[in-house]
Amino acid sequence: MSEIPKALQDFKPTEASARTELQKRRDRWFRFLCLAVGCSSVAILFLLLVSIAYQGTSSLNSNFLSASHDPENPAQAGMYPSIVGSVILCVLCAITSLPIGVAAAIYLEEFQPRNRWLKRFHGLVQLNIANLAGVPSVVYGLLGLTLFVYMFQLFGKLEQNQVSGVDFWGVQRYYQFVAVDDLSVIMVPLGESREPTLKIQTPRPAFDTLLVPIDLHVWDPATPRPSDPEVLRRTVRKGDVGAAVEIYSWYYFRLPFGPSLLAAALTLSLVILPIVVIASQEALRAVPSSLREASAGMGATRWQTTQQVTLPAALPGVMTGAILAMGRAIGEAAPVFVVLGGNIAKRSGPEHLMDSCVTMPILIFAWADNPVEQYRQLAAAAIIVLVALLLVMNSFAIYLRGRT
Amino acid sequence: MNRRLPIPNALQSKRYRATGSARRSERVVVALLMTCALGTVALSVLIVLMLLWESWSFFSSEHVSMTQFLFGIRWTALEVREVDKVEFGIWPLLSGTLRVTGIAMLIAWPMGLITAIYLSEFASNRVRRILKPSLEILAGIPTVVFGYFAVLLISPGLQWFSPSFDTFNATSAGIAVGILCLPLVCSLAEDALSAVPTSLREAVYSLGGTRMNTALSVVVPSALSGVISAMLLAFSRALGETMVVALAAGTLATFTLDPRQQSQTMTGFIVEMLKSDLEYGTVQYYSLFGVALALFVITFGMTLLGQLIRRRYREVYQ
Repeated sequence: MSEIPKALQDFKPTEASARTELQKRRDRWFRFLCLAVGCSSVAILFLLLVSIAYQGTSSLNSNFLSASHDPENPAQAGMYPSIVGSVILCVLCAITSLPIGVAAAIYLEEFQPRNRWLKRFHGLVQLNIANLAGVPSVVYGLLGLTLFVYMFQLFGKLEQNQVSGVDFWGVQRYYQFVAVDDLSVIMVPLGESREPTLKIQTPRPAFDTLLVPIDLHVWDPATPRPSDPEVLRRTVRKGDVGAAVEIYSWYYFRLPFGPSLLAAALTLSLVILPIVVIASQEALRAVPSSLREASAGMGATRWQTTQQVTLPAALPGVMTGAILAMGRAIGEAAPVFVVLGGNIAKRSGPEHLMDSCVTMPILIFAWADNPVEQYRQLAAAAIIVLVALLLVMNSFAIYLRGRT
Repeated sequence: MNRRLPIPNALQSKRYRATGSARRSERVVVALLMTCALGTVALSVLIVLMLLWESWSFFSSEHVSMTQFLFGIRWTALEVREVDKVEFGIWPLLSGTLRVTGIAMLIAWPMGLITAIYLSEFASNRVRRILKPSLEILAGIPTVVFGYFAVLLISPGLQWFSPSFDTFNATSAGIAVGILCLPLVCSLAEDALSAVPTSLREAVYSLGGTRMNTALSVVVPSALSGVISAMLLAFSRALGETMVVALAAGTLATFTLDPRQQSQTMTGFIVEMLKSDLEYGTVQYYSLFGVALALFVITFGMTLLGQLIRRRYREVYQ
């Protein structure tokens, strides 16, 4: 007969059941602890949203959404320029970062090499993207400052408020005159001249403020004044001095970019590039390989497979990742702050690519940093708008994800 | 009867393309895609080059010595205007960063890990449907909002608790950063925990283990590499966090262990320097690139370590 195992020999039922009870009790406590900690994160979210809503709802009205920052009167201040700025910035950022990010993800997922050296390269790119995602966004901001704003000072030093650099296209210079009727403004093109002012003596080609060509009439004060109001509108007094003004088209381009919308958008697109790549990779990985094999079996090349089978199948996932990345871009403050500076005094949205720009997080930061209590309440109201926008974007992303 | 089958549509239209042209365009496309992938590598190279190039202007200045930078305990780049009297010692900023990050990790690590354990081991579907979206919303909230929250609620709360806290202090910033990192730790750790196969859990149950035994003695140790890498990634995220500390941690660079005092961090200093009216080109201005280089080296090291741990020590189960 075999021996009874030692554990069974000195088996004491009461002790064993007491031990089991203890274990069970511990388990219950642990479970309770886990639940409490899990719930506390929900509670924190709730507390955060409620406290900000409590602070902000009183200043949230239609004037707040349509006015711009007012340094003297917080009651009249609003956030319209920052909403426009954030949206335009986000669109530009999407245009620049999505194609590159998705292409890099396709290369990493769909074109995995068999060659040993290319495999190494692959691993390096993969590790590199993971590391890029961990680089603090303020460092990206400094990269944008050096690379886009100052361009390593290749175009000469950029002083504050003073632009030196090379204009490429999209800028027209005019001398501005007030017509004899004191109401209309007449623009005379600069031509080859570099003078800051022009003293008008003879008729020149001219335009009105809408840049429609007009027939300029120069009136010598020694002769009788024309009486027809239609003529007066395009008449300037002989010897008047007009100052040079610059009119920018939306595609105005210069190097270096300076603290501009384009520099901020490019910097932000660098910040979200790794996020786009990682999200797109995950979406592509989720496509079952049987689809790819079926396509390959029909004789398609790898790119044909990607273009016609894998990418359409992964599109909802890629879109989800893209929207989440855009949400990140809209909320990102540090790199934009480094590139554009903390100036929030702009009264309109950006008007051309080289225009300065206010974004919502920058505005919130400036208001929250303001010692005046009323501006802090405005910051809370701006946070409500920003978080609402983000919630809409994210729920759209979750809806897209649910459809796959 | 011998009926002829109709020719399929696809063959009737005869719109096939030569395989040769497809292969040629394939090569062009692969080259393009590879350029994009190379672009991401170029981005890293650019970051490193930019930091080295700009901080060279700082370190090569006669007013700066490397020993003083690495071991000095006074940082007066913003307070003192005369360039030969300014002291550049990184330790006040570094200690400020470490204080804030330490407090943040005291919150984010345990809470994130326990929430992850709860989600992967205990949570019913109903609880999960509340908890997961809340964490996702929390992860999507912009950092500047957490900074505002710290100033609005956490700091007055701490002062009510003990009046010895400054208005701007390391603790309130640290708590806000901790809340910010919580979803990151939680989602990465949960991924790692749920990758542990059910068979291991079932083995523990069959030996009479409770859920707590399973979670603490089997699931967490098996997923340890993933959990640690999640913690390191959160650590490096907290080191680089900017807007929260710029709003809530104060503007005084202090070399102390007291979490109730103001503590300017490295990122906070970068923001303050850009806000100040110091000209581009002065030694004080370039000092921000020296600080950024130090920050980059530390965070890059942390992220790399996290990635390597996750890859090398990952236990793969079939």
